[in-house]
Parts: sequence; C-alpha cells; structure tokens
Amino acid sequence: MMDHSQYRTAVLTDPNDPDPKLRAHLENCAQCRAFTAKLQGFESNLARALRIDVPAAAPADVAALASRRSPARQPAAAARWLALAASALLGAVLVGTIWLALPTRSLAAAVVAHMAGEPEAWTTEAAVPVPALAAVLQNAKIRLMPQAGTVSYASSCAFRGYVVPHLVVQSESGPVTVMVLVHETQAKTTQFDEQGYRGVIVPVKDHGALAVLVKDPQADAATVAKIAQRVRESIVWTR
Amino acid sequence: MNDVVGGNAKRARFESLCQALRPDLLRFAFWLSRDRALAEDVVQETMVRAWKAQDSLLDESAAKPWLLTIIRREYARTFERKRLVTVDVDELIANEEPSLAAAGDQELADMRAALFKLPDEYREPLVMQVLMGYSTAEIARELGLSGPAVLTRLFRARKQLRTLCGEDDPGSSSE
Repeated sequence: MMDHSQYRTAVLTDPNDPDPKLRAHLENCAQCRAFTAKLQGFESNLARALRIDVPAAAPADVAALASRRSPARQPAAAARWLALAASALLGAVLVGTIWLALPTRSLAAAVVAHMAGEPEAWTTEAAVPVPALAAVLQNAKIRLMPQAGTVSYASSCAFRGYVVPHLVVQSESGPVTVMVLVHETQAKTTQFDEQGYRGVIVPVKDHGALAVLVKDPQADAATVAKIAQRVRESIVWTR
Repeated sequence: MNDVVGGNAKRARFESLCQALRPDLLRFAFWLSRDRALAEDVVQETMVRAWKAQDSLLDESAAKPWLLTIIRREYARTFERKRLVTVDVDELIANEEPSLAAAGDQELADMRAALFKLPDEYREPLVMQVLMGYSTAEIARELGLSGPAVLTRLFRARKQLRTLCGEDDPGSSSE
C-alpha cells in the first residue's frame, strides 16, 4: 500500500504518471488530494512559465545560409564574437605559458570535439560538387591534387577563432577527416586516440598544421600516418 | 528543370517544418542557455546543420527530437568555445528580464526566475518533460542517463522549484 511520501515523490517526478496505485491512494487520502490540487496549480504555472514569447518572424533562408558556409556566425552574433575574440586574446596572453605546455592535447581535443559535432560529415560518400569544394579551398587559399581522393564533405568551419577547411576524403580505410589549421602552431607530429577517433596532427612548415582523423578502430598509427602523408602531399598552398 | 522544382519543394517542406517547430526549439534553447541571443544563434546553426543533414531524417515525425539533439550538440559546442566557467544567476536574470517578464503576473515571473536558478542538470530534463512532452525513457535516451537517474533529477527539480517559489512539501522528502 502506497503511503503519502511515496505518492508525493511519484507525482513530483511525473504529475501525469498513470500508475493505478497513485489513483487508488488519491481516492483514499484527503491530504494528498489537497496536495495534488496545489501541485496542479504549480504545474500549470510551470508550463506557462516555460512558454516564453518568441518572435513570430519568418525563419532565415536556411538553404542560403547553408550554402554560404555552415558554422558561420550571422551578423547578430558578430559583436559577441568580437568580444569573445578580445577576451580570448587577453586570456591567451594571461595563460600563454600554460597553453604552450599543453598545446597538442588541447588541439587534439578541440579537433575531436569539432568532429563529433558534425556527424553528417561521415555519412555521405558522394563527391562534393566542384564549385562547393572550390569555394572552401579558395577560402583557405589551398588547392587539392587529385591523388587526395574523392572529397565527400567540404565546409568552412569556425574553429578556435578562425575559419578553417573541414574536409572528408574517401580512402581505402574509409572516410578520413582533414582539417587544415594554418593558424595553429605545432612543434612535432603527434598521434592521438580520443573518443573513438584515431588521428595525427602534423606540423606543416610555414602553414600551421594538418589534422587527419579516421573513425576506424582497426586503423593503426602507421596507416593514419600514411594517409596523413598522402593528404599533406596533395595540398598545394597558394599563399 | 525537374531538379529545380524538386529542390524548391524540398526547401519549402524543410522550411515549413522548421517554422512549425522553431518556437518550441527556441524556447528549449533559451532554457538550456538562459540567453535569448545565444538561443537564437544556436537554433539558427541547428537549422543550417539540419538542412545539410536532412537526408538522414527518414521520418518527418521524428524531426522534433532530431532537431533537439542537434540543438543540444550545437549548444555544447558553443559552450565549449565560450568556455564559460562561472555564472552569476542574478546577472543572467537581469540580462534576460524582457524574456522573463510576465505582464503583471508576478507568480509567473517568480517561476521563471526560479527556473533560472535551477542547476542545469535538473532544469534540462524538466524542460524536456514539461515543454517538449518527452517521456522519462526519451529523456534518459537523449541525456544518456538511466531511467532512475532521470526520475531523481525530475523529482529534485520540482522540489527545488517549489522551495524557490515558497511552496512547502511536507511528506515528500524521499526519493
């Protein structure tokens, strides 16, 4: 037999719980009926409170936004990004020493976090239309030689304060993600294995670094390194 | 020509879907972030990502949870980028006063302020349950929690809210 405490715990968890034991207790307990009546008022207020007014404005032309570049911030956010960039710069100066001590770990983690946020990048094998790929590469001032393989995803992405090309290239080991990080400084080649992604960050003289990742758990370090080497050799820097 | 017509139809259907779901998605993002401008950014980014990945949505009736998942992910990415460490709730409430205003309804305004003060781990499942109509199992799946863990959070969320709103709960202290 349910007691007051059990009843109240259950209805505070889910006021719409259809459990017949709750109903049975309610029928025989005046105290809990009073509690329930009060709770219904509370729930009504809660539901109304959550439904804040939202603008009825027509949504932005999503297709047009997507065709420009995916993770771009729109003008409404520009000021905040500027402030964020300023804060980031100040922060970078203040914690520069610590940052320099742990650059690889931070960069690898950021790359993996970015990958995880774009799962759609892994799901297609079809080649990106030439104009779309050209736009992304042109943004980054690079060209890609044919030996890189079929590029199935290309996006100019916001990454650590810069817009960088995020590509997925089809290889014999499956899809390979490539991020060209011209603004990063990387002292040496570093392998990493995080959250199911295996990858390598390769320094590129005068052009920052290249992050190459695969999702294949069977891929060993040598395979990843080989893929990274091929990708690196297929990039032509035009600046 | 057929491609153009098909593309236009696809776009119209997608935009219609977004328009229908956008209000609740904006509300969800607002209660997630407690920042209207950030919520609008997150929802816009979500729509862009959804547009690009729309082929992975096989059933339009699943669009709402699909978009909600993208919102949560996008918000997490934004949070990661901003690296917010501390939050002054009173400042947040002051910043979002226009959103929390309830046209003379003090009870409603108090409830919104109380919601702002709830810890994220309690507020999020509560919003999913009450605003989005999620079941306990759906919340558990979305948040990667066990069913009992969700129940505990929902209980604590209401308990804290009631306390913040000045309502006593004699006899409901167990979990």
